[in-house]
Amino acid sequence: MKYSIPKFWRRKEGYYQIILTKCRECGKVAFFTYVRCPYCGSSNVELVKSCGRGVVEEFTISYNRVEEGEEYLPKIIAIVRLNEGVRVVGELVDIDLSEVKEGVEVEAVLRRFSSDDPHGLIYYGLKFAPVIKGA
Amino acid sequence: MEVSEVYVINSALIKIDRHFNKGYKELANEVVSEVISKSGIESIDLVVVSNMLSDCILDQLDISTILMQNLGMTKVRTLRVETGESSGLAALEAAWMAIKSGAAENVLVIGVEKVTEYPTYKINKVYGKVLDYEVEFIRNITPPDYAALVMKAYLKKYGLKREDLIMWPVKMHDNACRNAYAQLSFGITPEKVLTSMVISDPIHLLDTFPLGDGAAALLLTSGKAVSNVAAEPVKVVYVDSAVSAQFHLREDLTRLPATAVLASRLKEKFGDKVFTEAAIELHDSYSIYAYIILEELGLAERGKAYEIVSELEFVNVSGGLKARGHPFGATGVYQVAELHKLVTEGFAGRKFDGKYAIAHSMSGPDYNARVALLQKLA
Repeated sequence: MKYSIPKFWRRKEGYYQIILTKCRECGKVAFFTYVRCPYCGSSNVELVKSCGRGVVEEFTISYNRVEEGEEYLPKIIAIVRLNEGVRVVGELVDIDLSEVKEGVEVEAVLRRFSSDDPHGLIYYGLKFAPVIKGA
Repeated sequence: MEVSEVYVINSALIKIDRHFNKGYKELANEVVSEVISKSGIESIDLVVVSNMLSDCILDQLDISTILMQNLGMTKVRTLRVETGESSGLAALEAAWMAIKSGAAENVLVIGVEKVTEYPTYKINKVYGKVLDYEVEFIRNITPPDYAALVMKAYLKKYGLKREDLIMWPVKMHDNACRNAYAQLSFGITPEKVLTSMVISDPIHLLDTFPLGDGAAALLLTSGKAVSNVAAEPVKVVYVDSAVSAQFHLREDLTRLPATAVLASRLKEKFGDKVFTEAAIELHDSYSIYAYIILEELGLAERGKAYEIVSELEFVNVSGGLKARGHPFGATGVYQVAELHKLVTEGFAGRKFDGKYAIAHSMSGPDYNARVALLQKLA
């Protein structure tokens, strides 16, 4: 078992949807579920759901070999600016390496993070894929 | 209440290497034996052990206790410190605070890391845990990916070409050629940097550190005890640390926020020239970070650090993480040991007679940063 089941289950909301932490004190919004505002430290925060769409601002094509992550190589790690104005870093999939560029419109898609092959759990989470026009 | 001064009175280190025939106990024993034997100190009040990976790699919790049991030092206070890649300077920070507060007089700091117990891809996995496990690690983001994104942002912001940023590793390898304790003591050409394997584009293999085992030790004492020792003491004037925001929360990726905070605080306390008058060991885990750290410390103008690399006489005399090596939890202790030797007996073929010596360390993309300011007594 690669991951603790309770640990993964507890965060499922943040893995299956893009959840943002909005601070009622300083007004800033951050990707992921924080118990306090990561900018000002206030606990007066609310969790809001992102529309899950954005634009690639920067990316790297990575060949860094990490145990049990080999099947995902080469991987594209991108900085995505969500439509809400918030930055998130995540994997970019369903795109040819030669077609990756800044400005590509992407949306969050459910993909496999990892699995307990050959038996056991499959861990899913959100990655980003190009928006299919007209879809 | 009178606050104690803190001095380094001895340091020891071994060559960073793939020490397949030695475990962490043997490596630590070598530096502990050396650092204590020549010191003139008769009793130690506290041993602070710095180690990053023992839980994951050595299957060992409470490494400081087990180490003391194996070194025949069972009556001493001991604790382990772990703050990711900056653990070594965090251990110094703990020791410094213990002496400053009067809780201890003689403190031994040991940095030890056995990295080569497993192949690189396994170490890469545990190294990734310096990032936020739930937000980053689990989503397959690794430290070199961030370094690559920082380098691309830096090139874009300052209108530079990738080729402009190739001299740092060349310089580090050149420095390491004179350091008997360095892991990679051979020269490289600029061409070799760009033809080495791509890790995370545009970061190449020669932009980053090798994996190796290491151990280093420092013996610290209070102002009260320092007059009893024969060695040339070096004062630990100040140790500071800070934490920065997570990567995706940073709007400007060409800055290292925790390092910037420390640079500002150190200048405020010790003057604007504190970095320019110092020999410095800085945390170049990826070469792009070296350029930005030089800028954060005020040694170079923003976007122009690459222009001054060849002029840096007393920055990373050791060869830095790039070529001396980066045995994670031991690295900060190496830095301080190297600076201690540099200002006393000389190190890597050089001796520094300037006012200060500064060690800078950080973890991941500056998730935490630490600095230690040393000063040789006149």
